[in-house]
Formats: sequence, structure tokens, C-alpha cells
Amino acid sequence: MDPSRITLRGFRPTDADDLFSWAGDDRVTRSLRWKTLTSNQEALTFIKEVCMPHPWRRSICIDDRSIGFISVFPGSGDDRCRADIGYAIAVEFWGKGIASKAVEMAIPQVFRDFPEIVRLQAHVAVENKASQRVLEKTGFSKDGLLRKYSYLKGRIHDLIVYSILSPEIEVLPSHSC
Amino acid sequence: MAENLDKSGGERRVQESMEITLRPIELSDADDFMVWAADDKVTRFCLWDTYTSKEQALNYIKNCAIPHPWLKVICIGNRAIGTISVTPGSGFDRCRAELGYVLSYKYWCKGIVTRAVKMVASTIFNEWPYLERLQAIVATDNEGSQRVLEKAGFQREGVLRKYSVIKGKTKDEVMFSLLSTDSFV
Repeated sequence: MDPSRITLRGFRPTDADDLFSWAGDDRVTRSLRWKTLTSNQEALTFIKEVCMPHPWRRSICIDDRSIGFISVFPGSGDDRCRADIGYAIAVEFWGKGIASKAVEMAIPQVFRDFPEIVRLQAHVAVENKASQRVLEKTGFSKDGLLRKYSYLKGRIHDLIVYSILSPEIEVLPSHSC
Repeated sequence: MAENLDKSGGERRVQESMEITLRPIELSDADDFMVWAADDKVTRFCLWDTYTSKEQALNYIKNCAIPHPWLKVICIGNRAIGTISVTPGSGFDRCRAELGYVLSYKYWCKGIVTRAVKMVASTIFNEWPYLERLQAIVATDNEGSQRVLEKAGFQREGVLRKYSVIKGKTKDEVMFSLLSTDSFV
């Protein structure tokens, strides 16, 4: 796919039908904390009440049509130096490098938009090999496997935690941290 | 006067036996609390800043420690020499809880925290049946604390790079865990 067709932008109410087509698909939401959407109306509400007010959520678009999302949750207080990233895309676009391209585009934007963040992390279920490949391709390092870390769709999962560090920190001369 | 003599004699006897107990914290523990909370050597690895007044200690005990879901003082002869706590997750994270502890400097390197951690590990999964994972996050340069967890049977899962900010510096942290299904040492 021509990478210039892939863009990131905020969600709009007009994305409701497209959002429903992939967020209404269990295969996509299986790896997310999101509940599978059940109607266009629910998708519209979700856009207005969750996606648009979100600290950092972008629609992954092909030709400006929403086919997925990337979200970043910054920490607060003692956790403000780190943020969590999550993403998903429609099944028909799996296996084409689109998620990797979107994550690659998002990383510098996130570090710029949240200057306090030095660590961007992602938690991926052990069995979600495709998502692990996305993170490895985009420069994340595997920090470790966290056993029975949290619930996903009613079951406790082992999660692998990946991280990528702020480029600005990495180019500083050696210092104690 | 007699009370002071009694206390010092009591401390000598207790150090020989080193029996430790865990109990809920009280406001009357504030002076003992300040022994470790006001000590830079202790707070060096803590997220919080060294305490500078008894008022701070009383505030913390009343507003944070007493209402905490699970926080006990580590005692020798009923005098507090540190604290140990288990902070549960909520929602999606309710299957896990985080262990924390702090000990007065003069009692370091005597195996006290290891014993306290083992005491907690042997009861917390029964007290909280929904708990599957007890985790602890320790700075990579805090070797003493890493040894505590290894001796208590925790498994080292990896290093979380630049995970926390401690005293203005980003720190790499080691993640340890103990599962309800693990056998304790």
C-alpha cells in the first residue's frame, strides 16, 4: 500500500459508520478493553463522549476513512514520565504493515505533544503475535513478561510489556539516571 | 527515667530474639515513623520526599496509612521500625496488587523485611481470594530490596526502562511478581 494514503487525525462524528464497521467486529475488539459496538448510534455516542474528549486518540485513516485507532494515555503524578499506547485496525487491513506505519507516525507526535513523557509503553497479550511484531518493527524493546497481569474480556492474561524511550533523552551525553 | 532504661534493656533483649510482628498503624507510632521517614538513607529509593516534621507524619498516618486497604507496621517488641503495604488494583487490574515496604536504616541487612514479606505473602492470597498476582517494583540500583524479593520467592520479570521519576531522576525499575499459584520459599 502507498504509505501516503495512511493518515492520523482526530475522530469526527462523520466517522460513526466507519467506526462501527471495525469496532463492531469482535475480532478487532478481542484484544482491547473496548466493548464491541452494537450500532451506528452507539458508535456516534462513543465518538462524541469518548474519542473526541480523549487526551490523545487518533483515527487511523486510509484515504481519510477511519479504519482503526491509536490512543495514548499519559500517566499523572508520580507516573507522569510514562504513557500507554494502544491501537487496532479493521480485519481487512491486517497484515499490510498499516498498524506499524501508523504507530511509527504517532511516536514522534506523542513525545512532542507530551514533553514530560520519557517512556511510551504497550502491554500486549502473549498470544497476540501480530501486535508484538508491530511494536518490534517500530523500535519498541521488550522489557519482560508480566504474569497474570490484568483482565481482558473476562479472563486474566499474561502480558508482554514493551517500551520506547524519548529520543531527546537518548541523544543526551551519558548521565546518571 | 526508669521507662528509658526499661526501653533500652527491652531493645537489647529483642535484638537477640528479633521476633517481628505486623500490626495496624496508630497515631502514637508517629515518633517511630519519623525515625525512618526523616532519614535520607531510607527515602533515597522512595517516590516520596524525606519528612521534615512530625505533623507530616501524623497527617500521613491519619489520612493515608490508617485508611489504607492493607498497611501494617513492622514491629520489634511492639515498636514500629517500618511499614509494609499491599495496594490493590481496581477494575481490569483487580487481579493484582502492589507490595511496598520501608524499614528504619539501623535494622537493614538483618533479614527483617524478607520475613515480613513472607508473612504477607503467606496470608494475602487467602485474605483476598480474587488476588492472583502480587508485584513489586524496585529501582535497579536498590540491590538490597531486590535481594529481599528474591529470598521471598518472587520472580524477576524484567527491567522497565525509565519507568519512574525518583527525586527528579528517571529510574529503571525491576518488576517482580509472586502468583497465588507460586510456591513460596
